[in-house]
Amino acid sequence: MSPQRLPRTALDRDFDRILERERTGKIKAQSQSRFWSKFVSNRLAVIGLTIFVVIVLMSVFAPLLSPYDPQKIDLRAMMLTPSAEHWFGTDRTGRDVFARVLYGGRISILVGLGSAVLSAMIGVAIGVYSGYVGGWLDAIAMRVSEIFMSFPQIILVLLLVTILGQSLGNLILIFTLTGWGGIYRMARARMLSIREEEYVQALRSFGLGRALIAYKHMLPNALGPIMVNITLSTAAFILQEAGLSFLGLGVPMSTPTWGNILNVAQDLRVLENNWWIWLPVGSVISLFVLSVNFIGDGLRDATDPSQQG
Amino acid sequence: MLTYIFRRILILVPMALVITFLVYLGLDLTPGDAVSQMIPPDQIGNMDPAKLEALRESLGLGKPFIVRYWIWLVGVLHGQFGYSLSGGVSISQVFAERVPATLELAVTALVISTIVGSILGTISALTRGTRTDHVLTVVGMLGVSIPEFFFGLVAILIFGLKLGWLPVGGRLTPGAESFWDQVPNLVMPSLVLSIMMTAGVMRYARSSMLDALSRDFIRTARSKGIPEWRINLLHGFRVALTPVVVLIGFRLPLLMGSNVIIEQVFQWPGIGNEFIAAVRSQDYPLVMMIALFSVLTVLVASVIVDVLTAVIDPRVRLGE
Repeated sequence: MSPQRLPRTALDRDFDRILERERTGKIKAQSQSRFWSKFVSNRLAVIGLTIFVVIVLMSVFAPLLSPYDPQKIDLRAMMLTPSAEHWFGTDRTGRDVFARVLYGGRISILVGLGSAVLSAMIGVAIGVYSGYVGGWLDAIAMRVSEIFMSFPQIILVLLLVTILGQSLGNLILIFTLTGWGGIYRMARARMLSIREEEYVQALRSFGLGRALIAYKHMLPNALGPIMVNITLSTAAFILQEAGLSFLGLGVPMSTPTWGNILNVAQDLRVLENNWWIWLPVGSVISLFVLSVNFIGDGLRDATDPSQQG
Repeated sequence: MLTYIFRRILILVPMALVITFLVYLGLDLTPGDAVSQMIPPDQIGNMDPAKLEALRESLGLGKPFIVRYWIWLVGVLHGQFGYSLSGGVSISQVFAERVPATLELAVTALVISTIVGSILGTISALTRGTRTDHVLTVVGMLGVSIPEFFFGLVAILIFGLKLGWLPVGGRLTPGAESFWDQVPNLVMPSLVLSIMMTAGVMRYARSSMLDALSRDFIRTARSKGIPEWRINLLHGFRVALTPVVVLIGFRLPLLMGSNVIIEQVFQWPGIGNEFIAAVRSQDYPLVMMIALFSVLTVLVASVIVDVLTAVIDPRVRLGE
């Protein structure tokens, strides 16, 4: 009995058409990773990424966008309202607020992103190894992170500011010191579950070194949550820098940062009469942090199937 | 149960010891010593240097670090926190004056955010995937993204300066007699303080409610023909709320941190305001003691939360 040929259905024709288009190069088969296509299909994440890129680029190319020096005092142009010349007006000493927001973004983003990446590097370096190997390093790191994390973050940061002194480098150092604990614990927890996978046992039976297994073979499987954590801590650090500088205890006042620009709004007269000094920069901080949070959420949905819903 | 509580406290003690040790180390490395911290600064100038030296000797300042730490620790446990460098006020007096104000603010914010957050989170979970849910999600995201002090500034501008409905800052209005006269001062700071926490509680309540609604007992309840609202409220909400209550304890560190900035924005005379002033004037003893106080508060709160969780959920204390 010869195998009976089934009648061709509409689905078959669709499939043929797709194959045909792939052959002619009109569409690409599976060229995009699943992660990226999922991220792109999340509307809020794409909006977030767009805002993020725009603000970062504007800060980086600040000299092209504003002819003014953010530090230059011009006593003939004090407290000007926004105009075609000064888009966000000028502040108490005649400095152009738009230029200060652009240049301030450089420092604020540097502090946020830099501290997040540094603390992630430390947290991941310790967490990945000690999560896999355990032992005394793990025990010590766990206790130390517990102590760091039992302080309310701002209080610990201010305590360290008192001891170390106020400067841009110190602030990044302090944020890194206070921030590594969270990402360490997360990386460690991920490694504890990956450790039980069969491929890890297989690698071990091949006689691979512990460090090689941990960093080269296990770490890539934990990258998703780590990326999410980096974005979320970037958002947190930018908020903290803004808060500290607003109080005048973050980056020294001579350097413009988003928080430092807002500092003058503590004065009720400025708050009531000179909205252009503090309202735009506050909105920029909010927008930037919002965009980072959207990106973080998009990353989480794209990397972690259990978090959907 | 008692064993569990006991064990939990036992874990706390070494942590607290290490932290007090670090704080003392910090105090020891910063300028000033125990004598300048025990005697109010306005009196220290009048004292005979030989007497001071004798006092130093009698206090054991020549003794090794670890012995001095022990003496200091015993003093702290007896309520001798030392003196603030500026003004020479005793630190215990500072605590007595400032802590009630901070508590008033923090507890109000805690209550508001827990109630509003869990209601909004439940609504979000029940309307999952609809427009209401999406709007609430984005609003929650805005809540955690906008700096609290910026919320505070906008609120002061609108309700304090432009509309004049609420006082722009401070806790006590001169001439206020009853508690109700002070309520207007509390409204803005506590609402602003609760925004970020409300957003956090909302997200948590939403996922916790979704989790509860997917359980078997919900399906059982539904199959018995219980009306949908009863299922949601009595069966879902109650179960979902347990982790939300637990969350209150974990929000405490966040709240104590936010307090610092919000108290400054609204000139609220609490411990956070005092902390900023101490940091600004390099008042080391005061900075250290407030930091110590806040850590110990968080540690004690975490023990209470753990014990409460164990009371609510037997799996916690039986497990391990």
